Amino acid sequence: MLKKEINELLTQTGPGTPMGDLFRQYWLPALLAEELPENDCPPVRVKLLSERLIAFRDTEGRYGLMDEFCAHRGVSLWFGRNEESGLRCAYHGWKYDTRGQCVEIPSEPDERQSTLCRKIKLRSYPLVRIGDVLWTYMGDPAATPDLPQWEFARVPAEQSFTSKRWQECNWLQALEGGIDSSHVSWLHSDGLKNDPLFKGARGNQYNLTDRKPFFEVVDSEGGLFIGVRRNAEDGHYYWRITPWVMPAFTMIPPRGDHPIHGHFWIPIDDENCWVFTYDYHPVRPLRSEEVQAMRDGKGVHNEYVPGTYRPLQNKDNDYLMDREAQKRGDTYSGIKGISMQDASLQESMGPIVDRTKERLVSTDSGIIMARRKLWRAVEALRDEGVRPPGVAVAHQMVRSAAVVLPKDQAFIEGCGDALTVRPGVKHASV
Amino acid sequence: MQRQPTLASSCARAATAAEARFRISYPEFARRNSRVIALDGAAAEVVRQMSGQRWDGGHFLVFDAALPVDGSGTVPAEARLRRADGTEVLLSEELHGADTVVMVAKAQASPGQATTAQASPGQATPGQVSAAQASPGQASPGQVSAEAAAVIGDACALRSIMSAGLVIPGTEPPDAVVSALRPNAMVLVILRDGDDIPEILSALRV
Repeated sequence: MLKKEINELLTQTGPGTPMGDLFRQYWLPALLAEELPENDCPPVRVKLLSERLIAFRDTEGRYGLMDEFCAHRGVSLWFGRNEESGLRCAYHGWKYDTRGQCVEIPSEPDERQSTLCRKIKLRSYPLVRIGDVLWTYMGDPAATPDLPQWEFARVPAEQSFTSKRWQECNWLQALEGGIDSSHVSWLHSDGLKNDPLFKGARGNQYNLTDRKPFFEVVDSEGGLFIGVRRNAEDGHYYWRITPWVMPAFTMIPPRGDHPIHGHFWIPIDDENCWVFTYDYHPVRPLRSEEVQAMRDGKGVHNEYVPGTYRPLQNKDNDYLMDREAQKRGDTYSGIKGISMQDASLQESMGPIVDRTKERLVSTDSGIIMARRKLWRAVEALRDEGVRPPGVAVAHQMVRSAAVVLPKDQAFIEGCGDALTVRPGVKHASV
Repeated sequence: MQRQPTLASSCARAATAAEARFRISYPEFARRNSRVIALDGAAAEVVRQMSGQRWDGGHFLVFDAALPVDGSGTVPAEARLRRADGTEVLLSEELHGADTVVMVAKAQASPGQATTAQASPGQATPGQVSAAQASPGQASPGQVSAEAAAVIGDACALRSIMSAGLVIPGTEPPDAVVSALRPNAMVLVILRDGDDIPEILSALRV
C-alpha cells in the first residue's frame, strides 16, 4: 500500500516533477542505434519523460536529440529534411544542427542570418551511441555524469543484442514486475521447459521442483539485490539473485551458459514506457541461433506489429490469448512469451495502478524496498541536492547470478565477486 | 488455435484511466492481524518506539524467553513476549488470529543483553532478552536471535502464518543475525537504514 501522494510522486516523471528530476540525473536509453542507421537517415520522433523530441543523425554522423517542434510556427520537424549537416523544417526551411541551434532562416536577408539564428536554439540533449543503444542525458549540462558503463553495452558488439518494446502503462508498475521474483514460479513456469534461451540449464530443475521459494532482499549502494532461494542438493540452496540499480535497471539471473538478460524501464510519459531488453554473454559471441531466437521474440524479447516497436500481442487483440494452451498447461496464463505474459498483466492494472488499494504481502518486500529507496532518493535530491544512487559508474558494474551455496551462507558473501562485472570472466550460472 | 472475438467490453482495452473509476472498491476488507516482534534487546528499542505510532491494528512485542516444552515434539513451541507496556503475553495467544508475523533483529550486541542475562527471567524488563538467551559477554548477535527466531518461526509454520524478518544495521556485521533468521522467515530484508522499517510495515498494512 502506498499513499496517494507518494504514488503520484513516484509515477509522474514530466518536467518539473520530483521523479522527473531524478530521472534527469541519469544517462537513459533513448533509442536503439538501428533507428538511426546511417547519416542523413530519416529523423525519429521520440517521447521521453513526457517531452516530445526528435532524434536525427546528420551528414557527419553526429547524433542529435532536440525539441520536436520548429521554433518558428511549431511544426513537427519529423516532416523535415535531414540534409547538409542539419534538420530543415519542411514549412519554411528553418534549419537546426544536432545541438538544436538554428543555423539558417532562408526567408531572412543574408545579412540578418547570423544575428537572428544565434538567438534561436531548441532545447536539445546529448545523444551518444554505446553498444546497440543511443543514450541521452536530460539534466543540467553542468552536472553531466560519466557515460554509462553497463556491461551489456560495453562488451564487443557480437556478444550483445538489444531490443525494445512499447508498454502501455506507467514505468513503475513495469519496473516492479522486474523485481517481483515471486511471480516467476507461476506466470513464467512454461518458459523453463520450452524456451530455447532458457531450457536445458541444471538450475531449471530446482525451479521446477521447489515452487515455494524463500526471499532475501539486501540493500546495496546502487539499489537492491533480491535473492530467491530454493532447495538444492543436501545442505545447499539454489540462489537466483536479481540486481536492481536505480532507477530503472534490472538484470535477470542467468541459466546455464545462456546469455544474461534484463531490462531498462524508461518513461515515455506517465501512462507509457519503453522497455529496453538486452541479452549478452560476457565472454563469447552470441550464437547465430541465439540471435535468431531473440529476433523471433523468444526469451525476454517479443514479436512486433510489423514496422513498429509495438508488440504483436497487445491490448487490441487481447494479447492473442490462447485458452486451449492455458488449459493444456502449455502456458500458465494463456499468453505466449515471457515479456508479453508480464506486459499483459501489468497493462491490465490500468495506466497508473492505484497503489492505495493494493494489499501487499511480505514476498513483495523487494517492491516495497525499491519504492522506499526511490522515494528517499527523490526527497534527498529535491531537498538537499544529493546525487541519487545509480548515477555513479561503480553502481553500474553489477551482474545477476545463479549459484548453489551451503545453507548457512549468505548469498552476498557466497557469491563474492560474482555479483560484480569482471571483464573477460564468465558469469556465475547454474 | 481457436480464437474468440475481441470484445470491447471484455478485452484489455478496458484498462484505461477512464475505466479505472468503474473498479469496485473494497473498504470492507477485513483488517490484517500483524505481529511485529523484536528478537533482541537492540531491536526492542526500535520496536518500542514504533509502537507509539498510529498503526492499522498491528501488535508490537518483544521476545522475552522461550518456554520449555515436553520434548515429545507434539507440543508447539512456546515463548513469553512482552507488550510495549511491559505486560507479559504468550506467543501462542498472540498468534491466535494473526496472519503475518514480522521479526525484527539488530546486528548488535546490546547493553541490555548482559544486564538481563544476570537477572532472573521474571525480572526482565520490556525490551530486554532473558537469561535463557544470552550469557554475559559470550552471546553473539546471531546467537541471541537464533533461539527467538526458531521458536517464533516454528510456531508460525505450525499455524501457516506468514513470517518475515527485518535485519537492522548495527555495530556488528549482519551475517550471524541473517543466518539465524534465514531458516525461520520466508522473507528476509537486510536493511541499510532502520528508518525504513515504518515504511515497510506501513506498506504491509501493519
